[in-house]
Parts: sequence; C-alpha cells; structure tokens
Amino acid sequence: MSDTAEAEVLDIPEMDPDAWADFVEAQGWTDGLPLVPPTEDAVARMMDGARGDNEPFAAITPRLLTPTLRSLAANAVMAGCRPAYFPAVLAALRAVLVADYNLHGTLATTHSCAPMIMINGPLRHALNINCGTNCFGQGWRANAAIGRALQLILNNVGGARPGIMDRSTFGSPAKYTFCFGENEEESPFDPYHVRQGFRADESVVTVISSEPNHNLNDHGSTTGRDLLTTFAGGIAAPTANTISAKGPFFIILGPEHAATIARDKWTVPQIQQFLFDTARVPITEVSPENQERYETGGNPPENGFYKVAPTPDDIHVAVAGGPGKHSAWIPSFGGTAAISIRVKPPAAG
Amino acid sequence: MRIVNPTFGIAPQDEGSATAGPVDWLNDPMVLFSNNKPNARELLEGVRSRLASIRRIDNIDHIAKGSASQPAPPEMINDVVRKYRIALLALGD
Repeated sequence: MSDTAEAEVLDIPEMDPDAWADFVEAQGWTDGLPLVPPTEDAVARMMDGARGDNEPFAAITPRLLTPTLRSLAANAVMAGCRPAYFPAVLAALRAVLVADYNLHGTLATTHSCAPMIMINGPLRHALNINCGTNCFGQGWRANAAIGRALQLILNNVGGARPGIMDRSTFGSPAKYTFCFGENEEESPFDPYHVRQGFRADESVVTVISSEPNHNLNDHGSTTGRDLLTTFAGGIAAPTANTISAKGPFFIILGPEHAATIARDKWTVPQIQQFLFDTARVPITEVSPENQERYETGGNPPENGFYKVAPTPDDIHVAVAGGPGKHSAWIPSFGGTAAISIRVKPPAAG
Repeated sequence: MRIVNPTFGIAPQDEGSATAGPVDWLNDPMVLFSNNKPNARELLEGVRSRLASIRRIDNIDHIAKGSASQPAPPEMINDVVRKYRIALLALGD
C-alpha cells in the first residue's frame, strides 16, 4: 500500500476498468469492491452537491490529516454516490468526528464495530433511502453508497486500513456499509430525530459505532409487555461489549412490533425504562475473572445482576424495517455515543 | 488521466519537538503502562520479572488506563511524564 497524501491531484496512466481495479487494490484504496474513478470532473460534480458547505473538518484519526472537501468528494465518487448524497456523507463524517463517538478507539479496536448511520427527515425520500423491508440489506443505492463513502474516507484519509490500524479480530459486513432510514411513516412514535430536539422537517444523520443488527424474533407475543420481555431476554448478553453498563445501544422496532407496543400505550421513555430494569445479566453467567474485571472497572453487579446500559437514555429506540414479527438489537462498541447532526442542504445555485 | 487523490489531507503544523536527556536504563524510574486488558497486565508483569535480573525494580510502577476503549486522560499522561523517565506500554488482548 502506498501513501500518496502529498498531492491532491494525481496524474496516472489511462487504464481500462480491470487495470483500474488492480490499481486501486494496489494503492489500498478499496474495500475490496470495484471503485468509480474519482476524475476531476466527477469530483467537481460531487462537490456541487454540497455547495455552500464551508465548515472545516477536524483531522481524521489515526493519520490525523485534515481532509479537504475535494478529497472527501473523491471518496464519495469512488463509493458510487450521487452528488445529492454528499451532504449526508459529510454529516455522517462530522458526527463520527465528535469526541464522544471515540473514533480512534472504534477504528483501532479488536471489536467488530462499524459506523451505523441512521437517517431521518425528508432526505430519506429525496434520496430514496430504504427505511422499510430489507433496510439493513442490499438493493438500494443510497443506503449502499452513503455508508460505503464514510468507510472509504476513514480508510483513505483517516488511514484506518484493515490489519494495520484497523485491528478488528473479525471485522463485520457492516464495515462495507451500514446505512438505513427510520421508517417514520410506520412508526407510532415521534421520529428519533424529533426526540433528539430536531424539527420534523430537518434531515438528520445519527451515528453510533456498532455491530450489525442482531435479530429479535417474537412471533408469539401479543402484548407490548410480552414483546419487551422477549427483547430484554435477547439483549441481556454476557458477551456484549456493553456488558456491565459500558455504553449505549439501539433497539430498532419492526413496525408490527412497534404497533403492538404502542397499542398497549407504551411510550418511548417507558420502553427504555422497562428494558433498563429488565434486561439484566445474572452474575452466574459471568466468569469469576470477568466479575473481578467489572468490579475493578467500577461496574459491580446490583443484587446479583449486571446492567446492560448506563442509564435508560442509553437505550436508543427507533422504528425501521418492513412487515414481519422481527425487531433488531444493535449493540455498540461500548465506549461510544449516539451522535445526531443535521444534514446541510446545498445552497441555492 | 487526472484523478483527485482520495487519501489527500493537510498535515498538522509542526508543533516543535522536545529532546529528552539520556536515560539511565538501570536506575531511572519506570512505569509499566497498561491499556487495562488482562493480558496487558500479564505481559508487563512478565517484563518486570525479567528486568529484575538486570536493574533495580523498586522504582518500577504499574498503572492502567481506566478503560481499554477510551484514551488515557491528559492528566494521567502528564503525571507519567512528571514522575518517570521510562514508560513501557502494553496493548494486550
């Protein structure tokens, strides 16, 4: 892998697609899939998608270089973004650069975390972001390209190259892309971003460093309480990074589960409190050595059980997905935070 | 063809450098700095045992970050700089 950070524009030989794919692989620029060449024209068109955005960026760890809008746009081009996606990519980058997200720790860790990106607001429709059936999966260009662009930026400008600075034991499929929209239209609750203090008509990106979704299957329960009891059992895992209240996580309710829970008059704060109180790991499921670690780490058990989140507010609840009796648990790295940032629309022009 | 370099970034301004004086490896105070994972402590304890055969160890201390997943707080780094001449770091998993 070469490091060519010194020049913003590179003159390289003309090459066919196969040779280009080999070239970017040799440079260490790719996630393994083919990339779109970031020609000056393509990059200029991408930058036009964020015209008027003059807010500087912080340096990106671990290389600690400050990106230019141009180098960020190059990665968005390579990822397959349309110019209209670029403001969402920039918002996601700004969010992971917030100190509480702990970018360095989440990039260098042996854990399999990746930046989860959830999008709220009207941009979901403008960009055709999948919020419904198969929203964590394949088939939607915006979901695929926005998450991929952020990963390429962290790899190329940030230098978090797998096996070198990215020391993840396994990695995860989410490291290719992990971007979806909240299914606000089928949610019985206020949209996530509104509960964070944004206006409903604002578009907002929320990030957290997380594992991919873990399924919460419940085809049998018919009440909100019973569903939440099932979820509490599913998320009380002694092997999660958040064991002993080390950090936040997301619960993504499928629309059918959300409807049942809301029908039974549960509010989001009540859901958070119930899961906080009920999802506990018995001390008998934790080895003596780990009990000692958690004790010295300042997270002792309470009445023989370990908490799975520091506070009820660290259990983030949103609604996404399509029909089916499934919800999702998205465990985090632990030492991270959910960060929400408004997407700046491009200036008129 | 001309492409925009996807790795381009602006390096920080040179913040200068400090030059430490010579280190006395047999006598200077040393800290064994752990990232707070169990095997880091194990590794550093092993290093300390081996050092006992070649230098004094009554001025070798062991400290650990509060959390393996978070950076060491600046006051902890400053304290290490103030108290010790040598720091050995272990990243253990």
